[in-house]
Amino acid sequence: MKNKVIAALLSVAMVATTMVGCGSSTGAAETTEDAAEEDAAATEAAEETLSADASGQTITFWHSMGGVNGEAIDTLVNKFNEENELGITVQAEYQGEYDDSINKLKSAQLGNMGADLVQIYDIGTRFMIDSGWVVPMQDLIDADGYDITQIEPNIAAYYTVDNELYSMPFNSSTPILYYNKTMFDAAGITEVPTSLPGIAEVADDLVSKGGAGEAISLGIYGWFFEQFTCKQGASYVDQGNGREAAATAVEFDTNGSALNTLTEWKALYDAGYAPNVGRGGDSGLTDFSSGKSAMTLGSTASLKQILQDVNGSFEVGTAYFPSVTAEDKGGVSIGGASLWALENGDDAKKAATWEFIKFLVSPESQAYWNAQTGYFPVTTAAYDEQVFKDNVAQYPQFQTAIDQLHDSAPEYAGALLSVFPEARSIVETEIENMLNGKQSAEEAVDKMASDINNSIEEYNLLNE
Amino acid sequence: MNNKIGAKKRIEPYMYLVPCLLIFGVFLFYPFFKTIYLSLYKTNKLGEAKLFVGLGNYTDLLQSSSFWNSMMVTAIFVLIVVVGSMLLGLIAALLCNKAFPGIRFFSTAYALPMAIASSSAAMVFQIMLDPSVGIVNKILHLDINWINDPKYALICVAVLTAWLNSGINFLYFSAGLGNIDESIYERASVDGANSVQKFFSLTLPGLSPILFYTLVVNIIQAFQSFGQVKILTEGGPGESTNLIVYSIYRDAFFNYRFGSAAAQSVILFAIIMVLTLVMFKIEKRGVKY
Repeated sequence: MKNKVIAALLSVAMVATTMVGCGSSTGAAETTEDAAEEDAAATEAAEETLSADASGQTITFWHSMGGVNGEAIDTLVNKFNEENELGITVQAEYQGEYDDSINKLKSAQLGNMGADLVQIYDIGTRFMIDSGWVVPMQDLIDADGYDITQIEPNIAAYYTVDNELYSMPFNSSTPILYYNKTMFDAAGITEVPTSLPGIAEVADDLVSKGGAGEAISLGIYGWFFEQFTCKQGASYVDQGNGREAAATAVEFDTNGSALNTLTEWKALYDAGYAPNVGRGGDSGLTDFSSGKSAMTLGSTASLKQILQDVNGSFEVGTAYFPSVTAEDKGGVSIGGASLWALENGDDAKKAATWEFIKFLVSPESQAYWNAQTGYFPVTTAAYDEQVFKDNVAQYPQFQTAIDQLHDSAPEYAGALLSVFPEARSIVETEIENMLNGKQSAEEAVDKMASDINNSIEEYNLLNE
Repeated sequence: MNNKIGAKKRIEPYMYLVPCLLIFGVFLFYPFFKTIYLSLYKTNKLGEAKLFVGLGNYTDLLQSSSFWNSMMVTAIFVLIVVVGSMLLGLIAALLCNKAFPGIRFFSTAYALPMAIASSSAAMVFQIMLDPSVGIVNKILHLDINWINDPKYALICVAVLTAWLNSGINFLYFSAGLGNIDESIYERASVDGANSVQKFFSLTLPGLSPILFYTLVVNIIQAFQSFGQVKILTEGGPGESTNLIVYSIYRDAFFNYRFGSAAAQSVILFAIIMVLTLVMFKIEKRGVKY
């Protein structure tokens, strides 16, 4: 009996501890001061960085592109491996989703056995800058005399802090409004709504005359909330939207932008125009593709998927991401991911990494990448490539995305925040609670602000 | 001389234990004590213990409505899953206890859920439960937003988990039923017992050791459910499916608050330990070997 109890206890202990035990990646490696020093050293060394001989080097590239996008990456990597004249070999390794790969990087950096180049999502930007693990892209650019004006300015703006480009944009997207053109025609609506109240105005016609089940399938996605803030030209956090220094508190509550967004959102929901279709960026797409909703919000990178799912059963139109009120003057910010060069103390590898980055953002590669995935070409010269022209001719809907990006401005680049992943999830939770009738828009904004401020405060306290 | 052999004899058995203890030490005891250690600290963005807060993480948790919500949700979830999966397994096993044509097919079908990964099952359910294109609404002629309505989300995840866990229960119960001596049923028939009496007086007591074992395993398994929640609901809507294990994951790997996550793990450990001890106490009375 006693043995049995002990055995049971052991098995319980095993069950309970392995869950968190394996993740507790402690063991001090770099304190922040060390990291800062290293950062400074890296900047000094930048001039010589690229003098090292890159030939024959093997570098590791971590990415988070699965499916069709992953195949496109592999094609690019293979092409580089075959064609580069320096004999550089790139090993591309899929590391799971964005969250997974940044987490793996955190663990790997403790043992200093990470990659040379890593793809990190937009909301990991502040973390990467603060980490001290990276070679700022600007150092490599300056050392090589690379012409930065080739990079789309509204995309580069997101990754630029203190006039320094920290990472190379690679796969960038913006959200747009997808609409069912066939329904709009049936309902006799010629003007596509440009704001949330504008959506409410046409909603009844879409349902009664257009045959829609619902006007818009609006997924509960933190990114959309951030975009609504950008569209109002407002800041998400203080310290110049987290771009002048690490943010200390959110600003969306005091500047009223969040309340505007949530009030309009709730109004659409209460009127039955925008039912709760769930959480996440793709949650609204099924309703749209199946012909139930007349509109949806989604990333430009979803265009291919949507067209494939719709499969010609109706005509898909695209329009600018709606603003919160008709008077809003702001723009959209980009999402997606960028490429971060890691400081591994090996100049030859750094030089090789830079060669590979240059290849990835070359007009030819970017035109191919855009055509395969629907992400923006980050290099403006890619617009002149035949592959790109063919792609836009085939999918004219993509032009909307490009126009919208060009109509935006660098000042709407969006916020940088160390605890962004958590903040985004808090925002989603509170919007859900609001839609489910648990709280008013005001209460939701207060709860978001206090929860996010708490985690910012704790983060700043622990990571000075 | 004798002494030497004696000493050797005394040490020898322990040497055999060393490999096992080493593995336990590395994978069990070290993480366990590390977790307790971490639960007393706040950690920085790399998960390094940075600021000693004593029991601060625990008091924070006990004051947090989100934590109590997680406990509540977990309790309901475990209840539904354990009852559901054991009933499902037991009924299926009883049905398959008789020989009839096609029994192999049915046995395989009932045992199959244990071969399905929870994540892939969750993905299939996600499509089936979709409000506009899902088969569940189509067949039942309903318009329920299963996964995004706080009223149904937890039940959906729990039912899915119960079904997944029922496969292995079916297997245990089938084995258990096979071990019950057929002749006692015959004797009972002679005494004029009907099938309900036979079930409660013969089958259930005969199954009791295996019932007890499956109960313990099922409870632990239910507490551990993760993949379904991660894929189907991500703890939402609101926090209505934020099971404690998912909450630990969020805090540790998403928010990088290992301290709080470790404290939650320790609390979870304590709960499972107490539950298991209580069950072993009850075992003495209820289980007949």
